[in-house]
Amino acid sequence: MSLTASLSASTNARRNPRTSLLTKRRRRVGVLLILPALALVGLLIAYPIGQAVYYSFTNWDGLTTQWIGPSTWVQAFHNPTMWTALKNNAELLLSVPFALGIPLLVAVMLHQRVAGWKIFRSIYFLPTAISWVVIGLVAEHFFAYSGTLNSLLSDIGFSGAHTNMLGQENQALIALGITFVFSMIGTNTMLFLTGLATLDPSLEEAARIDGAGAWRIFRHITLPHLSRFIQLAFVMTVISAFSALFSLIFVMTGGGPGYSTTTMEFLVYQTGFNQSMFGTAALYGIILFVITAIVGIVQLRLIGAKD
Amino acid sequence: MTTTAATVAETLVTPDAKPTRSPARRRLGRTLIFVAMAIMAVIMLYPFAVMILISFKTNAQYLIGSGTSTQTWQQINSTLPIWQELWNSTVVCSLSILIILVIGVMAGFSFAKLQFRGGNVVFLAIVSAMMVPLQAILIPEFVNIAKTGLTNNYLGAVVVYAALGTPFSIFLFTTYFRRIPDELIEAGIVDGLGYWGVLWRLAMPMALPAIATVTVLQFIQIWDDLLVGLLFLQNPSERTITVGLAALAAGHTTSIPLLMAGSLVSALPAMIVYLVFQRFLVRGLTMGIDR
Amino acid sequence: MAEIVFDQVAKVYPGGNTAVENLSLHVADGEFMVLVGPSGCGKTTALRMIAGLEEVTDGTISIGGQVVNNVLPKDRDIAMVFQNYALYPQMTVGQNMGFALKIRNVPKDEIKQRVNEAAKILRLTEYLERRPKALSGGQRQRVAMGRAIVREPQAFLMDEPLSNLDAQLRVEMRTEISRIQRLLGVATIYVTHDQTEAMTMGDRVAVMRGGVLQQVATPEDLYDHPANSFVAGFIGSPPMNLLSATLVETQGTLRARFGDQSVEVPAKYRDSHRLNENLTRPLLLGVRPEDLVVATSDAPGHFSATVTLREALGSEILAHLTFGGEDVIVTDETETSSPGGHSARVVARLGARAHVAVGERLDLTLNPDNLHFFDAESGETLRLSK
Repeated sequence: MSLTASLSASTNARRNPRTSLLTKRRRRVGVLLILPALALVGLLIAYPIGQAVYYSFTNWDGLTTQWIGPSTWVQAFHNPTMWTALKNNAELLLSVPFALGIPLLVAVMLHQRVAGWKIFRSIYFLPTAISWVVIGLVAEHFFAYSGTLNSLLSDIGFSGAHTNMLGQENQALIALGITFVFSMIGTNTMLFLTGLATLDPSLEEAARIDGAGAWRIFRHITLPHLSRFIQLAFVMTVISAFSALFSLIFVMTGGGPGYSTTTMEFLVYQTGFNQSMFGTAALYGIILFVITAIVGIVQLRLIGAKD
Repeated sequence: MTTTAATVAETLVTPDAKPTRSPARRRLGRTLIFVAMAIMAVIMLYPFAVMILISFKTNAQYLIGSGTSTQTWQQINSTLPIWQELWNSTVVCSLSILIILVIGVMAGFSFAKLQFRGGNVVFLAIVSAMMVPLQAILIPEFVNIAKTGLTNNYLGAVVVYAALGTPFSIFLFTTYFRRIPDELIEAGIVDGLGYWGVLWRLAMPMALPAIATVTVLQFIQIWDDLLVGLLFLQNPSERTITVGLAALAAGHTTSIPLLMAGSLVSALPAMIVYLVFQRFLVRGLTMGIDR
Repeated sequence: MAEIVFDQVAKVYPGGNTAVENLSLHVADGEFMVLVGPSGCGKTTALRMIAGLEEVTDGTISIGGQVVNNVLPKDRDIAMVFQNYALYPQMTVGQNMGFALKIRNVPKDEIKQRVNEAAKILRLTEYLERRPKALSGGQRQRVAMGRAIVREPQAFLMDEPLSNLDAQLRVEMRTEISRIQRLLGVATIYVTHDQTEAMTMGDRVAVMRGGVLQQVATPEDLYDHPANSFVAGFIGSPPMNLLSATLVETQGTLRARFGDQSVEVPAKYRDSHRLNENLTRPLLLGVRPEDLVVATSDAPGHFSATVTLREALGSEILAHLTFGGEDVIVTDETETSSPGGHSARVVARLGARAHVAVGERLDLTLNPDNLHFFDAESGETLRLSK
């Protein structure tokens, strides 16, 4: 085509629509691709949260709804059971340092690559695959009066120290806590091991050449690098302590004896499905949400906190 | 004693550096570590040992505390609806994971490579949904699903599991797809693919490690889940194996060996899936964290 | 007919950054056009606009006579070779090359035939079943080219395809690409920052800087008649020496004064250059390193300088000299291109001859046939266009 011909053609096309065809298509496909996700998460997660807030102000028992306003909230805050549940959750938080410290130690040991470490790694991770229901059952067996703990104690001659942890109000929670730590070891070890694997060995070597001792290296090189992972593990563990214990409690103690192992996550279930007080249960659920949200946010603000 | 502790400490902290202590000391350190790890392994394997040992007894033998028999195992089929429950678990897991993967790959690709207005906001919103504990939305969720008549139906549970697993799946896939060079996508465009084609013919085949990671993690999560199954699949004929086990445990007349046998059966599939997909797990998670 | 035309094309990013400004360029069918310039000059952006991977903010781009501003890349009938090759990792070499055809539902036999042909041209036949990760950098580069060749497009677009290869491979591939392009006779737009590649490969070369086209001409024209001081300093390695000078007329003879030296300017330059009106105005006098010769006793208009550095390259010796405070460089024989050009700096350098020692003082003359004059402010050449 001659230059003049193409010039006249271009004068007509000079007014460019700002967005090219490709860009338009990209945006369209982009939006379409996220719609299913949006629908799923919106309908089944976001919407129910709103509903939960609504229900928490009602007297919903599965049949009739009656708006009774903030009195549900007031009742809840006067309900000793709820405070017991919260207390139980708080006490369980005491196990978090163990749930972080032991995996840290294990991960460091694995990182040494002593003979057979890969097999050890597989073994340590194996419990993560099995259900907390199963772990709970085994734990129940362990802590029971006729269970393994006591027979071990007998074997080493401490039959006098026989316990009935699950039957004692002030000890059941401890048993629960120990089981919780056991359950978290696999996941957190995996996390920390990943973190250690990304640490550059030449840093350690340089420090050694500079004359740093083992402890110093750990504190100033290993730990700072791991802080991100420790933070992540901390958040995950705490959130688990507030939501994932349900299976353990259900199977090990059913919330008892009394309410000594009833935590918030169990209370939601109990209130809603055993007592059919949906409104109150929804309320407890929201409180749980607020707590975990606060934990997450506080964590975001703290600068690499460990311990 | 202090020197031993120091040796161990030193070995622990700097495994890759050249030793400055004598080889003998270092070997001592490593041996001690090995012993410690072995003890740890025993502790970790305890549940399995328990399950195996006790399941090979009859109830009577268990109460006495000695003797083995395969009776419990032989009778397991008739005492528990094992096969039905295993089937239920498999169906629910498979359907849920399928949805989680498809939605996750689609959304992950979109967030990673297809910029559009508001995309980042939506991404953050979906990812923050990971933080919502199940219990918070449980009640309304149950009511909603009940209203549509999908309780005691695979679909109800599947949809809930899918919704719970999608945010994490999207997070992982987005991170993974971000690593695909833009040039690769452009090459596909110039060659003649539309963005839809680029996703399924170029990006998705490259995402197999991430797919494996999500599959394993979600499989374990869903297979081992109690709460959702308890509420949304109450009928014994639709029960998953984990719920079945819990129900069994709640009934106080159950024999412990039976319980242990049931536990073992429910634990095996997840363990197998985990062992098979092990290597993808570490690789996949590293990607999500390192960013 | 596959000519490519830029008509006053501009690319402005939302943020205000102008990547390409008022670009008008015409590439003929079958021509090998090189876009060259320093990083950030807009050459890659221009290329991507032809491909359709960047939006055109203003102006039009036409391929084969048709305005393609709003045409999808896949409908433009162009093939692109990316800097990092962008090979599909899950496919074999053969599948990579045949992919575009497969998408268009070309029959399998034809795909196979075309892939085999291209593989033969590129000497890839034995690698057809391999995956990209099992290939070396040079082989991957050839696969990327193969992918483009199989398409039999109207035009090839190449985005710095050689920059990830080592020096020796680069020289090899340069000739390969030229040979293949000549063989296939397809219009090619080739982007590079390496002026040597531009000079050796292009039928014509377009020099860009800061989004603006500086000059488009054949390599010879670019070298002999640069349109401004930037092009003068960019093309050629080592770069042309640009000396700040002023013209003085004494008794009808024109002299150029630079530093503390002064050289006679032959009269013919008054006809070919706009010198008369530029007397006493600051100028840039351009002299290629090879146009600085060691003076013989009967050569007029010489000046002297001191050697500060001596670079012996085997085929030539580059000598850096100073005179009256400035640094100058000169080469011994005719300039042979050395790999990796660099952009010119407005520091003039002279070179010295074989037996040169640092600290030695030399007499030099400028080759009177090859002087260049540029306006000191705008950089524009003072040469009158034919």
